[in-house]
Amino acid sequence: MPMITLSDIPARGGSPFTPAMGVFLLALSTAPFSLPAVGLYQYLGIEVAIWLIVALGFNLLFGYIGLHSFGHGAYLGIGAYAFGLFQQEIAVSLWGGLLAAISAATIAGGIVAAFISHRRGIYYALMTIAFGQIFWFCAIKLHGVTGGEDGLLGIPRPDFVLGPIRFSLADNTSLYWFSAVLLALVAIGLWRLVNAPFGRVLQAIRQNETRARFVGYDVWRIKWLTFTLSAAFAGLAGGLFSMAQESAYPDVMSLHQSGLIVMMILVGGGLVSFWGPVLGVILYFVARDVIGGITETWLLWFGLMFVIMVMSRPEGIAGLIHVARTRLGHAPAGRSAPKPTEV
Amino acid sequence: MFELVPHIINGLTLGLLFALIALGFTLIVGVMEVINLAHGAMFALGAYFAMTTIGGGWFGGTEFGQWWLTLPIGTRYAIGVIVGPLMAAGAGMILELCLRPTYGKAPLYGLLLTFGAALVIEEIIRLSWGTGEQSLPVPQAINGAFFMGGLIFSKYKFFAAGFAIIAIFGVWAFLEKTPYGAIIKAGAHDSEMVRALGYDLSKLRLLVFGFGAALAGLAGTVMAPIWGLRPHIGIDVIIPAFLIIVVGGVGSFWGAVIAAVLVGLSVGITGAYAPAWSMLSMYLLLIAIVGFRARGLLGRKSALEN
Repeated sequence: MPMITLSDIPARGGSPFTPAMGVFLLALSTAPFSLPAVGLYQYLGIEVAIWLIVALGFNLLFGYIGLHSFGHGAYLGIGAYAFGLFQQEIAVSLWGGLLAAISAATIAGGIVAAFISHRRGIYYALMTIAFGQIFWFCAIKLHGVTGGEDGLLGIPRPDFVLGPIRFSLADNTSLYWFSAVLLALVAIGLWRLVNAPFGRVLQAIRQNETRARFVGYDVWRIKWLTFTLSAAFAGLAGGLFSMAQESAYPDVMSLHQSGLIVMMILVGGGLVSFWGPVLGVILYFVARDVIGGITETWLLWFGLMFVIMVMSRPEGIAGLIHVARTRLGHAPAGRSAPKPTEV
Repeated sequence: MFELVPHIINGLTLGLLFALIALGFTLIVGVMEVINLAHGAMFALGAYFAMTTIGGGWFGGTEFGQWWLTLPIGTRYAIGVIVGPLMAAGAGMILELCLRPTYGKAPLYGLLLTFGAALVIEEIIRLSWGTGEQSLPVPQAINGAFFMGGLIFSKYKFFAAGFAIIAIFGVWAFLEKTPYGAIIKAGAHDSEMVRALGYDLSKLRLLVFGFGAALAGLAGTVMAPIWGLRPHIGIDVIIPAFLIIVVGGVGSFWGAVIAAVLVGLSVGITGAYAPAWSMLSMYLLLIAIVGFRARGLLGRKSALEN
């Protein structure tokens, strides 16, 4: 069976009200009740929500435009540090902190993107690794600013203030609701974005960069914008991360963590579906908690599962679901036009 | 200037060992167009297997194990230096078999598969050898320090550097002077043509992967007494190797060697002024060189750019 790609699973226009989005929002709004019901805990919901923001933003770069970045943990870390530093040095403020997290990651991402946007393929991946390692290294070595290997500790969880509404985010349930609302906004926004003409251009660049340039698109600028955007989403997630952990530390910026992000997206099927990253992140965290509860070496089994998946079905879970639906005859009608060949 | 001499020598040693790691890596990239992220894991496997061989861990308390430990450490070390790379080669060949379904697809899949394999091997190392830091024993003759011109040098570093030079020239001679080397290079240049000439391409790939992994294992065995052994050492060495390949130009033999020595020197000399920041210098070197020469020092166009 030939490999399917993101463009082969037809999107239903730009309306965000698709069945998948409905299921997603339903799962999001029932998680605080269903998680304890199946024996998991509230904090897991926050973690999954944070990584989903990273993964959905990252898939804009990885899946849609096809630029393989292996240093994306760095922007999450930068967001986390910016949030923490804002709380500790300037003012205890939720919106200020999140704004600082997003802007810091956007600026860092924008600078890096300016250096690498004229690269392709493996050289692009290598440059993202090099820049990611530089940020990680600086986070460890700049003791005065980042607190070295221990990181920033005791970051407060500021109250949610919006006009007259004010409530505390100190307990995990309210922080979950806050993260879930942000995630829902991110998911709807990204869904609109990838189904807008902009999303089509991204896919055109993935399929053939040279041809997209000849058609008249400013490929460099679009690549720059996509990288910066996905760094901004990682920064937002980083701000939430430092609230959730009440600390920021260099571990999340390591190559290992960046590789895990790629792994989650690929296992879920980010290359073939908008929802792939969602499936992958959920599978990763559930595997970590369920297999991790049975054996210390859960990463061994997750790694093996990943290897087998790349060998047999590199389209991931989303690809499997697509194949199953096609076999059962429930899939939306396939396209009759000949498929563009990937280069 | 004179104070810099030990740092330059340290840097050169480091560079030569980096070159050894990078050679196996560049061989696999050149012939198979697979970015083998598990190369660092092969490095670690080689070192761990050599350590177990030297320490007699295979035989436990059996009579043979007792006898084994009465052998002089020099002999056991020499056997370890052979067994470590051989075991790494075996692991590399198994990995190549797993990689076969990804041939003909985007290079991303090979890269991801080897990333997963690296995770798995790291966990296996944790399971079988424990998570702690361990060390590889070294014969007395090449251990310790000596004085020269009022400076202290480690004997083992000189041994390792000499070993690396011999190994680099060995690999060069193998690739340039033997018919096998000619087939491997031809396979890197035009695999279709090599197949058409009647060579068994899948066997060639298996052997190249094994050979590359053996080089990684050899580097691990020689490097372990300097760096120590920990399960995540694979991730620590894969980054410099990766970087060297890009600086030197993907698939270029002398490019890799020159880049490795450059990286070693820059780490060594930065170490003299700002030890905490020494590892950062190689990333800056990468950005500086690749910023000006997109394909590295001696690189050619390759399929991995698409």
